[in-house]
Amino acid sequence: MLISTKHLTKHFQLGRKQTLHAVDDVNIGIEENATLGLVGESGSGKSTLGKMLTGLLRKTNGEILFRGEPLPDKFTAKDHLYYAKEIQMIFQDPYSSLNPRMTILDIIGEGLRIQGSDHNIRDLVASWLSKVGMDPDHMSRYPHEFSGGQRQRIGIARAMIIEPSFVVCDEPISALDVSVQAQFINLLDELKASLGLTLLFIAHDLSMVRYVSDYMAVMYLGSVIEYGPSDEVFYSPKHPYTRLLIESNPEPDPKLERSRDVIPIKGEITSPINIQSGCRFSDRCPSVKPECRHITPVMTTIDSNHTVACHLYT
Amino acid sequence: MIDFSPAEKSVAIEQITRPSLSYWQDAWQRLKKNTRAIISLYIIVFIAFFTLFGPFLWQVDPALQDLNQVSQAPALPKQALLSAAYIQWQRIVIQDFPAEPDSYRDQVYAPKSLRLINMATTQGVRLSWNPVVGAGGYNIYRNERYPEGFNDLGLPLGSTYAGNEIGYEDRLGLEPLTYYYSVVPTDGFDEYEVYSVLTVTPQLTITVDEAKARNLVSDTARPGDVISLEFHPLGTDYLGRDMLARLMEGARVSLFIGIFAPLFFVLFGIAYGGFAGYFGGRLDAVLMRFADFVVALPFLLFMILFKIAFGVGPGESGIIPMLIALVLLSWPATARLVRGQVLQIREQGYIEAARLLGGRDHYLIFRHIIPNTMGVILVTLTFAVPAAIFTEAFLSFIGMGVVPPTPSWGSMCNEGVKTMLSHPHELIFPALLISITVLAFNLLGDGFTEALDSRLRSRE
Repeated sequence: MLISTKHLTKHFQLGRKQTLHAVDDVNIGIEENATLGLVGESGSGKSTLGKMLTGLLRKTNGEILFRGEPLPDKFTAKDHLYYAKEIQMIFQDPYSSLNPRMTILDIIGEGLRIQGSDHNIRDLVASWLSKVGMDPDHMSRYPHEFSGGQRQRIGIARAMIIEPSFVVCDEPISALDVSVQAQFINLLDELKASLGLTLLFIAHDLSMVRYVSDYMAVMYLGSVIEYGPSDEVFYSPKHPYTRLLIESNPEPDPKLERSRDVIPIKGEITSPINIQSGCRFSDRCPSVKPECRHITPVMTTIDSNHTVACHLYT
Repeated sequence: MIDFSPAEKSVAIEQITRPSLSYWQDAWQRLKKNTRAIISLYIIVFIAFFTLFGPFLWQVDPALQDLNQVSQAPALPKQALLSAAYIQWQRIVIQDFPAEPDSYRDQVYAPKSLRLINMATTQGVRLSWNPVVGAGGYNIYRNERYPEGFNDLGLPLGSTYAGNEIGYEDRLGLEPLTYYYSVVPTDGFDEYEVYSVLTVTPQLTITVDEAKARNLVSDTARPGDVISLEFHPLGTDYLGRDMLARLMEGARVSLFIGIFAPLFFVLFGIAYGGFAGYFGGRLDAVLMRFADFVVALPFLLFMILFKIAFGVGPGESGIIPMLIALVLLSWPATARLVRGQVLQIREQGYIEAARLLGGRDHYLIFRHIIPNTMGVILVTLTFAVPAAIFTEAFLSFIGMGVVPPTPSWGSMCNEGVKTMLSHPHELIFPALLISITVLAFNLLGDGFTEALDSRLRSRE
């Protein structure tokens, strides 16, 4: 395991008696050179989990182990400087993630400058620009001169130039249009192979996650409810929520789509504030049982490494 | 035979490029297209030149009084006659005429052959007339128009108390105007209702010594020469001080307050708001409540109390207390604005990215946060300058600003408003300068707002 979490928890205190359970008791692990896809609807805590792994957010409880060593509880600038070579992140919004006052050279070379690298920054930035499929002559330009897809490539180059071993991709494709998404995914795949990267790929597009990742974790209201190899989770989902999530993925063929009988998920996601014990999905679950409302289900292994937290399988 | 062959393709031809512009270059390009802002910029440069270099070009002491030209409207320099030093007036008393009339008369005739002795100058008008039989004295009047009757003789200048004293010298505030002098005989107490009128236009004169002291003439000048008095292109004020010199000196005061007060409070506001916004949390809450408290202080009352508490001693201008009071009261607006900006920028992805790369707080602040708030800060500063100029002018106008004799545009307006109807130039010039400067800074601020607005920047 390159990185793993133990009972990782993040609570946000909203006033005196309200606690928002953003991430609750999450235990996941990512093998070296593997990609874990993290899916879930908006507000399920995917980004919070990703940011805790990078140290941008302070955890409330639990542990994060990186190469077997626990990461510091609160990251100082020094810790970030130390772990920068290991852990990096690609951000969701290609517009807000690049400083509009800096040239591309300064943006991509920022990590090298902060790290005090001996390399020739200009040459390295030029080579990375061509690696991500951009013209190295553009390095004196400013972010506003580029399209969203190009900006996201700049974001990749910034994260990758210091050659980290683990990269969190926080919904990197949700702001891109479909044709650019494919280019981006292919670029990520190439880099992953050539650099031997380990990725946490956060997205809400299930088929894209299946395509990219080796393993898939499904989150609902801050907790992981199903975990397993991507294809297995995608083609034989066990948890009722995962099943509904995959069924609501539209079919490209209109005839098939019309003949499919989809039961949409009822209602809104439950409020993550002051969660009581019991299955978090019990309010919306089509196959709810009486014990679901009182007893919190635990992760149970079904196959070799396919686990699910549901009373249907205990 | 001509062989056609395809032209060579080159990649460079097919590339469409435009020069890559930084944020500030782009903003400057768009500001240049804004005619109003550019005209305002020229006006501001002109006013800056007027303030900084004007006093070197127009070397007139703004405190020097020119009593020959008090409340002078803008005009070409006046001509004046040089005269010798003033000679004491000797009363004219004739010996062979009774000082007291022998007996009371019902009627006397008007004084005859009312005439000037010496030339009539602004130094003095000397009159003499023939004695009137039966008069025990004479009253002398002066009017600025021809008297229409006995009750319209004008200003009573004085009296002689003997029938044989038949001369009078008038030195009362003479100007080079036409005066109508009247002489009325009296019986010693009451006037006889007869009078003679003499039309006199005194010649503007100054003595040689005074002219030399004011550097108007060379040493060789003689009495009788005609010289030009000091030139006041914009006229003089009610104390005869040169308006142009005072406007330049006043601009220094007004613009000093107008530039430095905003500079100080904006700098303080940036530090305060930036600190509160960057570190956030409870500290932010406490700091911003204090800022709210300062906003709640009544501005005018506080200014007045502060000025009284500070105490302006003799010889002081009162500029520094006003500057301090302005800075103390005006910073919260900037602090709030910067705090808001910092709170917004702090959440941007590039800050998180830089933090992940190991950037320390000061790196994040100076490299990422401050450059991204500069646009807003610049706009605030350009709008704060006219506001401060206006506040200074207002305070000086109501007498709570600079202390006389220090001129500022506001205090000049205050002085000018008293003579607004008779000498409008004393009010118009400083008021015009305030208006133009404030307008120019506001239009420039509008231009900056438009030029620096990120929403108008091309994203592609």
